[in-house]
Amino acid sequence: MKTRAAKIVAALVCGAFAAAAAAQDRPAGSPERGLKAYIELLCSSCHGTVGQGGAPPGGGPKLTPNPFPYAAFALQLRKPRLDMPAYTEKWVSDQEVADMYAYLLSIKQAPAQK
Amino acid sequence: MDDEQSTDGIDRRSFLKGAAVAGVGAVIAANSAAAADAKPEAGAGDANRQGNKFITRPGSDFMVDVLKSLDIPYVASCAASSFRSLHESIVNYGGNKKPEFLTCLHEEISAGIAHGYYKASGKMLAIAAHGTVGLQHAAMGVYNAWCDRVPMLVIGGNAVDAARRRPGVEWYHCMQDPAAQFRDYTKWDDQPASLQHFAESTVRAYRMAMSPPTAPVMISCDLDLQEDPIHDANLTIPSAAPPSPPVAEAEALRAAAKMLVAAQNPLIVADRAVRNQDGVAALVRLAETLQCPVIDLGGRMNFPSSHYLCQSGNRATLVRNADVILMLEVADPWNILNGWGDPWKVARRTAKPDVKVIHITLAEFLMKSNYQDMQRYQPATIGISADAHASLTPLLDAVKRELTASRAAEMAGKADGLRKGHQAMRERAHVEAHYGWDASPITTARLATETYEAVKNEKWSLVCGETFSWPRRLWPTTEYHNMLGHSGGYGVGYNAPASVGAALANKERGIFTVSIQPDGDLLMAPSVLWTAAHFKIPLLIVMANNRAYAQEVMHLQRMANLHQRDPRTARIGNVFDDPAIQYASIAQGYGVWAEGPVTEPAQLAPALQRALKVVKGGAPALLDVVCQMR
Repeated sequence: MKTRAAKIVAALVCGAFAAAAAAQDRPAGSPERGLKAYIELLCSSCHGTVGQGGAPPGGGPKLTPNPFPYAAFALQLRKPRLDMPAYTEKWVSDQEVADMYAYLLSIKQAPAQK
Repeated sequence: MDDEQSTDGIDRRSFLKGAAVAGVGAVIAANSAAAADAKPEAGAGDANRQGNKFITRPGSDFMVDVLKSLDIPYVASCAASSFRSLHESIVNYGGNKKPEFLTCLHEEISAGIAHGYYKASGKMLAIAAHGTVGLQHAAMGVYNAWCDRVPMLVIGGNAVDAARRRPGVEWYHCMQDPAAQFRDYTKWDDQPASLQHFAESTVRAYRMAMSPPTAPVMISCDLDLQEDPIHDANLTIPSAAPPSPPVAEAEALRAAAKMLVAAQNPLIVADRAVRNQDGVAALVRLAETLQCPVIDLGGRMNFPSSHYLCQSGNRATLVRNADVILMLEVADPWNILNGWGDPWKVARRTAKPDVKVIHITLAEFLMKSNYQDMQRYQPATIGISADAHASLTPLLDAVKRELTASRAAEMAGKADGLRKGHQAMRERAHVEAHYGWDASPITTARLATETYEAVKNEKWSLVCGETFSWPRRLWPTTEYHNMLGHSGGYGVGYNAPASVGAALANKERGIFTVSIQPDGDLLMAPSVLWTAAHFKIPLLIVMANNRAYAQEVMHLQRMANLHQRDPRTARIGNVFDDPAIQYASIAQGYGVWAEGPVTEPAQLAPALQRALKVVKGGAPALLDVVCQMR
């Protein structure tokens, strides 16, 4: 059974392979700066402060645990599928993208289901 | 009070008894017992000129008798001079019982309380609103009720006779046609010119409001008609016997049944389909007979989320695969079959192009032109203009007539797969609810989960909790009263007053009431908390305080990105965290027990227990929980 989120993930993974070369160029990111950018850019309004995803209506898919590959993450930011707005380099630098990705990677796994 | 003899010799008990008899049978003279003694009094001006300083039988007394004949339990109202005589009659002549004057501090609150009360109890309330300005305040709440198919009697004060108006303010608060501002979203209205006219029109309005499709109605109540003495000794109150709902035509049901039985992948989509537990049970029987998954859109609690045929979380897949969809009073049928891309405004077909649609709805009985609540046009293969609730059992009977033993066996073979699908859906929800479990601000999923843990041993009713989808995904519903659905018109300011109205109804029925209260909604009319405190209405208010108009944040982000401008500015106009509003202090100021802000996840469960104790003691309690935006 494919949910919408699963379809998005699938598309992003495909995008990741297509942009594999770009993935090699990922700048080193700072989780601290990434958190700051993530909150300032209000990514948390849809995806939650720890990337847990948001509930409909209006909530975005989860980003953690198990974030998309970096290339897919960057591609979704710049040229998003579906309804997510596009974040251009004018307002979000490549470094900030890498920082936010580093932040997502730094988030600890949620506890097991109670 | 009821046993007192009034000064003009009228035994009110007999008067009411007469009215009650009229309520169940033939039209009789309501005040016939008093008629022999009662002499019509002169008008107020005449009486004054004659030196008589009293009006012992004002018209508003008779108006109260009309309301009593309709068994209206409360008149939710913010006091105003344009219905001062009616107010006084409710309190003194009527003994302030059925109807009781339910003090509200804003007319939007009155409408919201009436809205919530009806959804919890099935009983209609009246609201009284001041001429012009009070009605303007009430308007959004009445519109929500219209969209949500909720009846209420709106009584608007007005002084029709310009020659008798007080100079100054009263003119500002009078209208030639007060109902004009409501006519697009009420079912019927009138401005009676006599007391007999008032009785007949109010009873007519009641019957129309309560006839499916249910909706608000309005009576403009003339000031002089209220205040002048009763002139007519032979007033009568007509019968208000409840109307029966329109049931689908047999041939249409047969065709629908045939289509459903032949379907390989039937699907039921229910929105405002049922009105009580009998309706829930009827829908369960229909779904089980067809082994048909159900998507409950939640306009009402139509189908138990704990039942294996409840598959609301599998909507996309089920719609995509369906060959026949039975819609039951679905507000937006187009949106079931299609998706929508924003901001590019591109439609995406999500259902099969040749899917067959059966829609049982009364929407076409209530459609008007101006307000566009009718949603995008979606044709049905079989369109049935009928009441879905009343038509469920006849539809089931028709299905059984079409169902052969072999077809029934085929359908039964689907049960295991459907059970697995339901189980997977539930497990997925629980897993997803635990992402970010220890995050601060508290996740909306944890807020919903912890709140359920607190109330699950009560006979609970989540009267407002539609801000986010977690309760619907996580809370196992079995009873109609478990969830009451959303505002209908999405007019912000519904949740708080509707929760108080529903809690008032639930108090009388021994049901524990909980609401998940968005901060932006509470800010529209926070003084409803005073009403809850004053009337000792037990209600657990768990605030989902994200300190923002979160949905608007996302809209602004989208626009800024679309325009290639700074998305960080989306906070402006949408976020109100500096200073952070202290909701616990606000609630305490209105006399409500409150705690908060609760910011750490570990604080939540103990705080909920403290609040629960207060509510179980018979009072409202508010817990301010700072949570994520979505």
